Amino acid sequence: MPDSQITLLTRDGARIEVPCASGDTVLDAAAGAGYHLPAMCHQGTCGLCHARVTSGSYEMSGYTESLLPGRDLGDVLLCRCTPEGNVTVQLPCREDQIPRHQIPLRDAVVERIEMVWERAVCLSLRLQPHDELGVAADFAPGQYMELAIPGTGIRRAYSLANLPNWDGLIEFLIRIQPGGQFSAWLTGQARVGDTLTVRGPAGRFVLDEASPRPRCFVGGGCGLAPILSMLRHLAEFQDSQPVHLIFGANQEAELLPESEIAALRAGLPQLTLTLAVMNPGPAWNGFVGTAAAALDASLAPGVTEPDIYVCGPPKMLLAVEEVAARHGLAGRVIAERL
Amino acid sequence: MFCYQCEQTMRTDAGGGCASDKGVCGKDEVTADLQDLLIYQLEGIGQYSTRLHALGEADAAADSFTLYALFTTLTNVNFNRQRFVDLIAEAARTRDRVRDAYLAAAPGAEKLGGPAAFQPFQTLVELQPQTKIASLAAGAATFGEDVAGLRALVLYGLKGVAAYAHHAEVLGRTRPEVAAGVAHALDFLASEPSDINALLEEALALGKLNFGVMEMLDAANTGSFGTPEPTNVRTTPIAGKAILVSGHDLRDLHGVLEATKGTGINVYTHGELLPAHSYPKLKAYPHLAGNYGSAWQNQQLEFAAFPGPIVMTSNCLIEPQPAYRNRIFTAGPVGWPGVRHIGDGNFAMVAQAAKALPGFAETAPEKTILIGFGRDTVLGVADTVVGAVKSGVVKHFFLIGGCDGAAPGRNYYTDFAEKAPQDTILMTLGCGKFRFNMQDHGTIGGLPRLLDIGQCNDSYSAIRIALALSDAFQCGVNDLPLTLVVSWFEQKAVAVLLTLLALGVRNVRLGPTLPAFLTPAVLNVLVDKFGIQPITTAEADIEAALTRAA
Repeated sequence: MPDSQITLLTRDGARIEVPCASGDTVLDAAAGAGYHLPAMCHQGTCGLCHARVTSGSYEMSGYTESLLPGRDLGDVLLCRCTPEGNVTVQLPCREDQIPRHQIPLRDAVVERIEMVWERAVCLSLRLQPHDELGVAADFAPGQYMELAIPGTGIRRAYSLANLPNWDGLIEFLIRIQPGGQFSAWLTGQARVGDTLTVRGPAGRFVLDEASPRPRCFVGGGCGLAPILSMLRHLAEFQDSQPVHLIFGANQEAELLPESEIAALRAGLPQLTLTLAVMNPGPAWNGFVGTAAAALDASLAPGVTEPDIYVCGPPKMLLAVEEVAARHGLAGRVIAERL
Repeated sequence: MFCYQCEQTMRTDAGGGCASDKGVCGKDEVTADLQDLLIYQLEGIGQYSTRLHALGEADAAADSFTLYALFTTLTNVNFNRQRFVDLIAEAARTRDRVRDAYLAAAPGAEKLGGPAAFQPFQTLVELQPQTKIASLAAGAATFGEDVAGLRALVLYGLKGVAAYAHHAEVLGRTRPEVAAGVAHALDFLASEPSDINALLEEALALGKLNFGVMEMLDAANTGSFGTPEPTNVRTTPIAGKAILVSGHDLRDLHGVLEATKGTGINVYTHGELLPAHSYPKLKAYPHLAGNYGSAWQNQQLEFAAFPGPIVMTSNCLIEPQPAYRNRIFTAGPVGWPGVRHIGDGNFAMVAQAAKALPGFAETAPEKTILIGFGRDTVLGVADTVVGAVKSGVVKHFFLIGGCDGAAPGRNYYTDFAEKAPQDTILMTLGCGKFRFNMQDHGTIGGLPRLLDIGQCNDSYSAIRIALALSDAFQCGVNDLPLTLVVSWFEQKAVAVLLTLLALGVRNVRLGPTLPAFLTPAVLNVLVDKFGIQPITTAEADIEAALTRAA
């Protein structure tokens, strides 16, 4: 339950209602509702988020007083303004200038359906032109989209495996689930040229690009899709932080193909790779065990503590979180549940 | 982290400076510390370079790297810590090369210590403890706030000089005395100077050097793109695909115009690139469609609402919002982690992005503003101007120039322009003009009352106008009916201020607040020697200026 209500008035007369939890600033509450008001320092010193409260009471604390000569008139810095009950805030901008987090709905046409490895299909779609978004495939590596089976309204969320691009191309790695409805459509009815509705991008499984630490990615099966997108992004930006990829599979046949590994290594020369196989054949001389066990082995004492990105089934996530906690890295796990 | 280089730095009762895990500008502690370390290394390069220059030799690549690297550390330029890990490695290689050249050229050469002998580690994690050696706060603890503040004045002025010199260099202009002057200042800083007079002298020497640098930049701009001329610039959008170019770099804008020639994509300028429309060779591109938005601090709203890609060619960048993070590109010295950087001047990807993005759906009713009053235009009508003053039609000139910023106190400049009497001429440059340049200020004696001289990079033009007026009136600049009202934000403004002081210009009104790095004692010296005054209210300052002149 929200503790109070904030009414944001824009310069062009729009009213935006935003719920506010006790102790939240107006800036936080607006962001929580998907309205990203301009802000720079977030500490009451730059003055960028200034606005005016026209009704209601509020608390202003920890800011540079000289920034608000009109303090008595209700002038506030939104990053330091905590409502005490319902307030109305006059913003110095128009409604269409406020960046909003809306999840767009778009049409996309099937371009390619290809079995890439054991039980994994690569589905490529091309986004159709959109009035406000054009044809750009704009997303953050690690995010997902919901794909709707044509004519059914049934939606399934899949992570994007490729990079944001200006051609409208979106790629997914989809694990074929026996009895699964999307799997049945994909392997049975789907044809190149079919149009389906996609909703996205969404999700917070994204890179912390400002982090100074090495990055360790842990994935299994189609949990590799968002990780592939992130690795490709790091390669494109010539990131030189250490990167370790741990890929877990039940059998060798489920590992990612050699060609894919070679492509990743070409873009990220610093990449180290651990392939962990639970039930290998007699010829296997790599790591035997789960991805979590491989992570455990890699976190030897003296190693710089990494950020751990993990995407996979719940059981794998749990095991990775346990390993991380044991190494004192519980706060470093960034996870996506498949 | 400790940083107090810009106007918006954190100010508390304990003094000025951003000293937590993030600066007001959004720069994080690790990046700020790495920048300090890079500057420390540049001082080491300067130690060898200045000796190499003294022998009549130079490493042009090292001189160029020094300018570029200094530019990356200006406020709101580069926030990408990984970039600084790379630059630190490059600085070490550069230092080794200059050292070897010096040792080869001077057998029995001095063995240099301090920054010249510093060896950085390779990785970010290893580098972080090393940054302590370069901490500005440590200097203040050892030598006192006055010395630390004056060293900061020299360093920040130097950063401004380097930024202007880099802009000129990308257009093919360099001068040996500029490289030598920059190396000298770095060597000076490496010597840990603590004599107040020597520090002030160095600051003024930099101001003098900067006058030459700005002259060189003026020659680079006009040599490449022609002499600015009065031009009406459209400030409303035209239906169609669109690219927005922000920052100051005319060469990058030219690159974008070339990359989009004949594609139907319209190119808009943002902020400090507004003056580009007055250069004949740039405005000759029919798809240089207009100016969009206002000054840098409004970019989060303006970029989010812009329906195409954005190119940021220099300062001032603020954290890109998710709404446009994938469609903003950095170029030149600029950087943000996870934002695409165009380092090779190839803007094909930006054109591709513009085609993929929707562009403006509708053409808005046309609005224009008049710009292009560089020194050639103003001096071309010098007789009219002088006549208008002598006949009493024009009573006074106000040059309201400099940077804009987010602080609400900057409304002072809007008030100043609005309240200046009708018998005064307003000249402006920099992005501070966006506080008043969309208003109609009328005409006087056949001239527009508001004369837009250009970017902050065009300060040379303003100074030449002032010097020409003093010739025409046969008096010193300080005796002209002219008041300089300077709004500062970052380090280029520090360089320009030092130039004004070096030229003997007095009574500059400086605001919106005075630099946090200048201690009361140092400020007193500047007030005594140069009559620098803080702003008060627009009404009082206008009255004081007119009374002084009368």
